[in-house]
Amino acid sequence: MMRTLMIAAFALAAVAARAVAAEPDGKALFTRECGICHLPGGTGTFMLGRRLGEANALLETRRNLTAPYVKQVVRYGLNSMPRFTRAELPNGDLEAVTAYLTRAR
Amino acid sequence: MKLILPSGVTRAVFDRGLAAFERVVGKDWVLATDEDRETYLDVYAPGDAEAHAPSASIAPASAEEVQAIVRLANEHKLPLWPISRGKNLGYGGASPVVPGTIMLDLTRMNRILDVNEKFGYCQIEPGVGFFQLHEYLTQNKIGLWLSNPGNGWGSVIGNALERGFSATPYGEHSSSFCGMEVVLPTGELIRTGMGAMKDNKTWPLFKFGFGPAWDQVFVQSNFGVVTKAGFWLMPEPESTASFAMGLPNKEDLGWAIDTLTPLRLDRTIDQSVGITSYMQSATISAQRKEWYDGPGAMPDKVIDAIIKKNNVGWWNFNLRLYGTEPVVAANTRRVQDAFAKHTRQEFRITKWAKGDPAAGRSGAPAPGVLPLQIVNWNGGRGGHIGFSPVMPPDGKLVMEQFARTRARYIEFGQDFSSTFYHHGRHVTNVNLILYDKDSQPQTKQVRGLFGALIKDAHDNGYAEYRTHISYMDAVADTFDFNDHALMKLNEKVKDALDPNGILAPGKNGIWGKAQRKWRAK
Repeated sequence: MMRTLMIAAFALAAVAARAVAAEPDGKALFTRECGICHLPGGTGTFMLGRRLGEANALLETRRNLTAPYVKQVVRYGLNSMPRFTRAELPNGDLEAVTAYLTRAR
Repeated sequence: MKLILPSGVTRAVFDRGLAAFERVVGKDWVLATDEDRETYLDVYAPGDAEAHAPSASIAPASAEEVQAIVRLANEHKLPLWPISRGKNLGYGGASPVVPGTIMLDLTRMNRILDVNEKFGYCQIEPGVGFFQLHEYLTQNKIGLWLSNPGNGWGSVIGNALERGFSATPYGEHSSSFCGMEVVLPTGELIRTGMGAMKDNKTWPLFKFGFGPAWDQVFVQSNFGVVTKAGFWLMPEPESTASFAMGLPNKEDLGWAIDTLTPLRLDRTIDQSVGITSYMQSATISAQRKEWYDGPGAMPDKVIDAIIKKNNVGWWNFNLRLYGTEPVVAANTRRVQDAFAKHTRQEFRITKWAKGDPAAGRSGAPAPGVLPLQIVNWNGGRGGHIGFSPVMPPDGKLVMEQFARTRARYIEFGQDFSSTFYHHGRHVTNVNLILYDKDSQPQTKQVRGLFGALIKDAHDNGYAEYRTHISYMDAVADTFDFNDHALMKLNEKVKDALDPNGILAPGKNGIWGKAQRKWRAK
């Protein structure tokens, strides 16, 4: 049987769900937008480990990140890390990612 | 970052234009702060990134919004630079050729509209990235494989529009297009191929339609904004076998190319094969200073040490066979026999069969960004550009190209890093040039090297398949048959489709009539 998946409806539903959510999910956004480089095994993790030592390689486990620093790096890049535009990561989503990375633990 | 207005546009006209764009997309999606402009700069610029700085960005969510924006841009005479996701890293990133151009950022148009497993295609918008599509295919257990380029962060459509490629049977990505929806520079919406018939059922199945086929006219051009495309995906094979080998000597490159040519032409090997220098292992795993801190290109004794420590060859390559197990087994023997005529080395072979885990080199390809690691080679804020001429798949010519290019790298004090991708009837020689972008002496050397490589290629009858925004005129100029007759045709088409020269001025050396005075000499 032909398997054709019409996905537009799902995508719109996802957008709608995000729009009505009280808070964007910082962990989910971090995984989706930053995880390609900054999860274990990622190139960002590898570079940070080399530059700052293994204790500072994984962003999710760091406790020394501040909100202004995270926002600065995302919008202006750092070393070879490219920048994120607001079209790709709107300010509300950036706030959520920042809150996740700087959460009290 | 200070505002650079589009050339010939006053601040009042610019502001009126932005206000008009806001009425189309909403205030949140006209991005015009200093910080916004900064985010679109080329992160790896081999020189002054602000030489290609945009003035603002507009991020529409639909083809209808793109149409409205394009019409307003004509009304206000504001140039637009369309990007799919803006990750054309190494070729200018998101940045436009002309400073002051307004970004038309399609990142928000990221819907996967249709995936058809039986017929092996998807229909997607330009904001869909490789990671997004791969995740969708994986989570829904759809038996279609993606062909991922080195930078999986980018757009599937955007990469194919730049003729990106990868080492899979579907690796010539622009050839996977089948039917596009395009907003023309004056705002009309068209569909190419069979999509030109309303409700035609074969739009993503038959590429050519009736009459001229237009999909490829929108590739590497500034003739329209692609807002949707059909894109063919590879059915999951029954089994694969992946081969890896390191070649110890520089001279091995020539016979390896000649050995691969008949195997590629008869499709025993049905994917491109990249033969890459030892530098890949060095740049991904270390920084230059860990090996050598002296001036100029690394000397041979350091190169030998890298090869020994990383346990790699001077040249290294992987290839993969696909099909039913008997076919893969038969083709395995053919490949082994062909290489056994030149080397006693055995291939390292990894096998995979449907149902096995995807992990390892031989299962479903997953997107990644690890190759970006190379930019850290020189330390500081790293960057890279590539010089990639296309040449015949002939061992002697390839060896000459290698020797000539390496000599240029040494002349300009750069560490040689090169891959020869065997595509069957041609080889694409991707030469990576790595630098610390804050080092003026280094970026000056890089620009000198790049200019010399363009000239060498032209002198030998070769040209690049794709280039950085700073070199589009220089490379276009090398296509000089009959006093650049093809560029004259391109610009006749440009003037007919885009009388105000609104879309992507200077893209691939194509300028509207009002802007030809800006062509780099």
